Amino acid sequence: MIKPSTLAMILAGSRVDELDVLTYYRPKSAVPFGGFARVIDFPLSNLLHSGIEQIAILSQYRGYSLINHIGTGAAWDMIGRHRGISILPPFKDNMDQSDWYRGTADAVYKNLDFVEYHEPEDILILSGDHIYKMDYQDMIDYHYRKNADLTLGVIKVDKKKAHRFGIAAIDDEDGEKGGRVTAYWEKPQSAPEADWASLTVMVFKPEVLYRALGENQKSHSFEFGRDIIPLLMSWDCRVYGYKHHGYWGYTRTIEEYWQSNMDLLGENPLIDMQAWGLRTNLEHRGIRDAQPALIEDNGVIHNSLVYNGCVIEGTVINSVLFPGVKVKKGAIVENSVLFFNNCIGADCRLNKVITDVNSVIGERVLIGPEVGTVADQVTLIGWNNKIPDGTIIGEGATVYPNLTPEQWINRVEAGGVLK
Amino acid sequence: MDKSGRGRGSVEMRVKKEALVLLLAGGVGSRLNILVQNRAKPAVPFGGLYRIIDFSLSNVMNSGLTKVGVLTQYKPMSLMRHLGMGEAWDFTGRSRGVKILPPHTGFKDSDWYKGTADAVRQNIDFLERNPADEVVILSGDHIYYMDFHAMLEYHRYKKADVTVGMMVVPMSEIHQFGAGIINHENRIVDWEEKPEKPRTNLASMGIYIFDRQYLLDTLSRDREENDFGMHILPRAIANDNVFAYPFYGYWRDVGTIQAYWEANMDIIRKNSGISPELWGIRTNMETSGLPFDRSPAYFGGHASVSCSMISAGCSIRGTVQNSVLAPGVVVAEGAIVRDSILFADCIVEKNSVVDLTICDKRVRIQAEAVVGAGNNHEIANRQQPKHLYTGITLIGKEAVVPPGVSIGRNCIINCKTKEEAYPGKEIEDGETL
Repeated sequence: MIKPSTLAMILAGSRVDELDVLTYYRPKSAVPFGGFARVIDFPLSNLLHSGIEQIAILSQYRGYSLINHIGTGAAWDMIGRHRGISILPPFKDNMDQSDWYRGTADAVYKNLDFVEYHEPEDILILSGDHIYKMDYQDMIDYHYRKNADLTLGVIKVDKKKAHRFGIAAIDDEDGEKGGRVTAYWEKPQSAPEADWASLTVMVFKPEVLYRALGENQKSHSFEFGRDIIPLLMSWDCRVYGYKHHGYWGYTRTIEEYWQSNMDLLGENPLIDMQAWGLRTNLEHRGIRDAQPALIEDNGVIHNSLVYNGCVIEGTVINSVLFPGVKVKKGAIVENSVLFFNNCIGADCRLNKVITDVNSVIGERVLIGPEVGTVADQVTLIGWNNKIPDGTIIGEGATVYPNLTPEQWINRVEAGGVLK
Repeated sequence: MDKSGRGRGSVEMRVKKEALVLLLAGGVGSRLNILVQNRAKPAVPFGGLYRIIDFSLSNVMNSGLTKVGVLTQYKPMSLMRHLGMGEAWDFTGRSRGVKILPPHTGFKDSDWYKGTADAVRQNIDFLERNPADEVVILSGDHIYYMDFHAMLEYHRYKKADVTVGMMVVPMSEIHQFGAGIINHENRIVDWEEKPEKPRTNLASMGIYIFDRQYLLDTLSRDREENDFGMHILPRAIANDNVFAYPFYGYWRDVGTIQAYWEANMDIIRKNSGISPELWGIRTNMETSGLPFDRSPAYFGGHASVSCSMISAGCSIRGTVQNSVLAPGVVVAEGAIVRDSILFADCIVEKNSVVDLTICDKRVRIQAEAVVGAGNNHEIANRQQPKHLYTGITLIGKEAVVPPGVSIGRNCIINCKTKEEAYPGKEIEDGETL
């Protein structure tokens, strides 16, 4: 039996402040996406199709939703003698060190015993937060071909947005495939000379990673982008960039998250989940038990994704509906993303709205600008809300999760926050 | 704990002795015609996502029973694949399980099951290996929701040797069933198997609870008694305690094409009484071996869908009315699907029409073709007039309907029919290809 040579570690701990109420109760990687799946399903499915079957997930923020989602790992075929997904939460060691991960590099450092136990020949570290399709095996092959200490997955970005990313300058050693990283800036404040952004997909030579993580412990910052990559550059290590040419959904803001949902729609969608081989855990939230979507007499659905368990009596346009969403008669839902088990009451109007799970929206509720007009901002509804009949919620407003009936008001102003 | 309170020793008391379930899934279901060409009747897809046997299996699961033997015989491959390890119905674990019981060679060569009772008799070792006070015997052929736990309680309360699940059916249909005459306490006092001149409209649903020891004794007594309805029950009624357990819900034997079509349509009809999701019906979605999970159904910019069930993985750009679509069905722009049932991964190409038709898996209706042409529903299928006579046309698994071809009513296009097999542009009402 061939023992796997690659150990993959997924950084899935982060809560993204800009995603606001969507990450109050779950890490970014467990945020629902695509009408039935979660963000982390993208890297997990990529791993599956790349033949990488030994995986650790580093998570410390609100891990339950994630633990639930991963289950046994069977959904991604990750069970077997040499296959598996381990979730590595923070722990308290006997040195009385702070038990929380102090950063992504610290998280891996604290689990080095786990890593070394697997005796990997190469270590693939990736973020669990991004939407993309990538053959990691091809990248690992490149890493070996270049005898690299570190190979970074990179994508071309607009220089104006470079300040949000780790930016690498790459020589044209291998043209479209990649090249040696000649300089690296983490989130450069002034426009850099280069425009290759790090995807947070990194292949390390184990001994180089171990040495860098050990050295990094002397520092006060423990991040791969900010600390580890610059450290390897300063050591003159062989750092290579592997160029990714496809779609990359970097969904750090609500607007970006909404946009990547819209990228699922249209005749030739930028994100084609079946073609990408996306898999999720159908056990999670019991979505396997939903019956096919029922479209009633007056139901209208245009340019939208609708999963099993939905019942549509109203109108749905340019939207993504997760399992168990009900849209009642006369309601119009446009440009919206409705998570699991929302119920949209009769004659409601929703335009550019994201609703988290389990909300019951009463009758004649208006959320966002008038339907048929172009909405500018996303309106966000947190989970488990019961919105009274006739409520008006202005464009760009945010409604916090779990509001009590007394907390509701007739009108939430545009851009307002109800909590 | 022993729910019946009849535990015999302290160690045995700790063993959960719940009833054992035997699911008879050997039915050929030949009236379902080409839908059962490659699979047993219980494995026939139903309601978009399900197979017929999912209803019985889920009822077993939802009744809290966890030890199941499935007796197979006829073309069991698709059924076995579907059952897998039973995890879809929560049957995996140390003391839980679903076991496939195929016919096996006995003392004589190749002993095929000669009837329902014979099938159980041939698996008597399975009964002996699994201690239980009662044995629940079910058919895997029916669409219904039923709580067997309540029926077990009833069986125990009545101190019955046998309890038979029974329901009232129209007098005109009773000749297809076993019919029971009951007294005021629901004791069955007389029995008629498929009566020509019925005296009652109380029909057996093919659901029996036997006291295990009684069943073992009965089966070993007379080895010529091969059928529950024909032999075992009449004898038991004459000599022992047999009770009817009345059932009042939705129950269909989808043994004919017409009944199968009606029951599928019931899911989209309001208030028909059938609701797989509310009933907690589970299925095994992983059997197709796809490398991906089905994405949500995509509805294109000009899609028009009404009164229909659409499963994940479908892609709808045309018109769908009154139809049930399994996962992965593609309906192209300009195409119309009406009053039809499409199994997984059928493709309905541009401007074609599919009307009152059942398409098995991976059927391809090419551009401008019409399936279910004309309005003459009266000409029954010439080869199988008893199977197809109400206007429904059947297209077999992986068959192709070439561009521009028109197929009439009550037609049968066999599995894997290729373009070359078509004699011309028109297949008349009642023809078979």
